[in-house]
Amino acid sequence: MAEVIFFIAAIGALAGAIGVVTLHNPFYSVLALVGHLISLAALFLLLRAEFLAAAQVIVYAGAVTVLYVFVVSYVGDGTVPLGRGGARLRVIAGLFIGMLFVELCIAMLGSGLKAIDGDGAPYVPGFGSPADIGEALLTKFQLPFQIASLLLLTATVGAVMLARRRDGGRALDDRPYVPGQYITPRSLFSGTLAEAVGRMRAPPEEPRQPAPVPAAAPAPRDGANPASGDDAGEEA
Amino acid sequence: MSVLVPFAEVGFAESWWIQIIKAVVIFLVGFTLVPLALMLDRKLMGRMQMRYGPNRVGPYGALQPMADIGKLLFKQQFRPRTSVGFLFAFAPVISMICAAATFAIIPFGGTVDIFGTEVGLYGIDVSIGILFAFAFSGLSVYGLMLGGWASGSKYSFLGAMRSAAQLISYELAMGFSILGIVITAGTLSLTGIVEAQSGMWYIVPQFVGFCIYIVSAFAETGRPPFDLSEAEAELVGGYSTEYGGGRFATYYAAEYFHMVIASAIAVTMFLGGWQLPFVDPPTWVDPIVVLVKTVLVICVFVWARTTFPRPRYDQLMALGWKILLPLATANVIVTAIIVVVTD
Repeated sequence: MAEVIFFIAAIGALAGAIGVVTLHNPFYSVLALVGHLISLAALFLLLRAEFLAAAQVIVYAGAVTVLYVFVVSYVGDGTVPLGRGGARLRVIAGLFIGMLFVELCIAMLGSGLKAIDGDGAPYVPGFGSPADIGEALLTKFQLPFQIASLLLLTATVGAVMLARRRDGGRALDDRPYVPGQYITPRSLFSGTLAEAVGRMRAPPEEPRQPAPVPAAAPAPRDGANPASGDDAGEEA
Repeated sequence: MSVLVPFAEVGFAESWWIQIIKAVVIFLVGFTLVPLALMLDRKLMGRMQMRYGPNRVGPYGALQPMADIGKLLFKQQFRPRTSVGFLFAFAPVISMICAAATFAIIPFGGTVDIFGTEVGLYGIDVSIGILFAFAFSGLSVYGLMLGGWASGSKYSFLGAMRSAAQLISYELAMGFSILGIVITAGTLSLTGIVEAQSGMWYIVPQFVGFCIYIVSAFAETGRPPFDLSEAEAELVGGYSTEYGGGRFATYYAAEYFHMVIASAIAVTMFLGGWQLPFVDPPTWVDPIVVLVKTVLVICVFVWARTTFPRPRYDQLMALGWKILLPLATANVIVTAIIVVVTD
């Protein structure tokens, strides 16, 4: 059983990885990436690393790649195939692939392939469980964990800096966001049948004060205007 | 003989035939709840809007979902000329698979002794527990996105993008709202969480988390008031605009299935699962308790649907990112501090 699942997942992972780089439509490339990631998660399950498998699916397949799909489906509609790139790009890509290959060779052959004859690591109950991983991250690998978080934080700050609106976010909606802006003041019987048949009128709202003219000319907008019951005003 | 399930750390090894029977039973229970939820939705909403709701097919209109599904299944399958065939057909299946898979981890009871065999009244009790549900809810985004994209229609595409953005945004708040419980219970396993609630249901100490969870669940299942992808006035029918017949029925059923699952998870995490206050009923009552509680939570879904108007899209995003997420984070931090201090 385990062998069958292993081969299905391994074939899926390899096919997905090859599909990512060979498919011409970027949308299908990203879908192949999703297939690759899910196959990898299945391989993690076989290794009894359930938490890793779940994290793989939640973080990569469920969040990161969804954003790829977003971008690709908005930008590339499939009618424009990916370009083949210039000669210089091809040389650089070849160099990178060569370097990666040499690196992998060093890493694998450097170990002398001792593990081939071995039985592999024994399964320890509790290995790969969330508690186990949490303990490892917070004790033995505390420093790398923190550094990786810092890296992500840097990326997040960078993304916010790139994506922020230069006018401070006022372009879309000229009212700024006020916490609790959805809570509109209403009378007790507002929205009931009693109000509909006119038995419980909402108290008439006092006429609105005209907004004070801002003293300084460049002041962008007047007070916060926390959604003062528009609906109640119409009924009166 | 014991069959080791590759991905489940079951407390005891169940034989293969028990697992198969359990899979079939859970599948049947799930697909019985879906028409029930559909019926409840229409009937209850009718009553709340001072009308009868469907009352023509069968006694009290109870066979209306069957009639609907039958009608949809026998309709002609067609698709737009610009659509992408295999993705168009496959996308609703993704939605359905993700919904049905999540149902496997809902515990309907502890382990019971049936004719001398120990059987857990749940599909699987994985050590990653609730993360399993989140993994599949993360994947279900693809069902909507691929459907909308493969339809080859702008309405479908924009609707799909809206739904996907909504799902991704609220998934965060949903995850954080449950983290408080995981910290308190000290386990991810759903049966473990239910057993940890024997003293007090988590809705009491984690009330903020419960509110965040319920609001996120409305958004996550695309139910009104957060059914922005189906805003008729702007987007026709959202990602399923071009779908008809059996494929549309699949999407439709998956939506209700997601609602059932969100309710069942709420019951498991916050409302004590199969436990009842002050009484300790025999084991065979447990699944009934879970089902009744689930139906009650579904009623809350219907209630919210008839009560609240649909927010604007930017309001929806602001609610998710600027209120629910900070609130959920604060809830997690406060819970963690309290757990550490009182430990």
